[in-house]
Amino acid sequence: MGRHQDRLLRYLRRLLGDDAVAEDLFQQTWVHVAERIRRYDASRPFAPWLLAVAHNLAFDHFRRRRPQSLDDGPEPAAAVDGLEGAAVGDPLARLAAKERRERLASAVSDLGPRDREAIALRFEQELALPEIARVLGVPLPTAKARLYRALRRLEARLLAGGPPEEWT
Amino acid sequence: MSGHVDDLLPLEAAGALGPEDAERVAAHVESCEACASAARRWRTLAAALRDLDSPAPSPRLLARTRERVERRRAEREEETWNRAALGFLIVFGWTLTGVVWLLLELVLGELALRSEQPVGSTLVWFVTYLVAGWVTAAAAALLLGRQAREEGRLA
Repeated sequence: MGRHQDRLLRYLRRLLGDDAVAEDLFQQTWVHVAERIRRYDASRPFAPWLLAVAHNLAFDHFRRRRPQSLDDGPEPAAAVDGLEGAAVGDPLARLAAKERRERLASAVSDLGPRDREAIALRFEQELALPEIARVLGVPLPTAKARLYRALRRLEARLLAGGPPEEWT
Repeated sequence: MSGHVDDLLPLEAAGALGPEDAERVAAHVESCEACASAARRWRTLAAALRDLDSPAPSPRLLARTRERVERRRAEREEETWNRAALGFLIVFGWTLTGVVWLLLELVLGELALRSEQPVGSTLVWFVTYLVAGWVTAAAAALLLGRQAREEGRLA
């Protein structure tokens, strides 16, 4: 488990938005890893493989819990409509650091699982696009499109959450 | 200023643009204040996303995880051993059946010669042996299954 335990739990917490479920899937992931470690190709990085195992377990969980809820809500363009000209982002800049982080964390947690996952994999896990595609089990352009949509939706959430302000 | 690059800025901040698009953004923001300002905002958001808090796993969670992995490993080892034992018993059972047929042939033939009395056909004795063997095995399987269920309930 060693150095990968923190990033795995961080990924699951962000993706699932529920600490108890995240901790259960954290344990399940390591059980699966112990059972399937022979399938791991040691010439490739371990983290994407580990996160792909966790991804599969997490989405199995979502499907069991609420089969048709994996979509991420309205398209970003629709969410931004009406805020035209309000500057692409605003809300972060003038808030104190803690408040700003809380607001951002809240906006991320309001996103759908696929959006949260794309953001977590790129920014928190710091995976490159090809690795993200491998974790998600999708082609590279699809991974890129998901990341783009996730960021646009996050922007819309932030804009919807308060008066237009500068980010910087 | 034409050719604004707003659509590329989220991925630029994420470091997910190809080289051509990245160059296009870099060239454009040098001369377009609106896009430069938007790019700064996206980069600030990207940095904030990287810094989001997340607590590390607690020692209790790590201990529970190790325990669960070990328990599962022990279960897998037991399953593997059980499969091997079952395979051995099947091979042993069929071998024994063949040997019993040969022994019956030999023993009954010898008895018939010595006693000059009818001792029954080999087939009848063999079927008797098989029925007795299967009934005994089924009874043993039932008892073991019941015991395993009881242990499962108590565990």
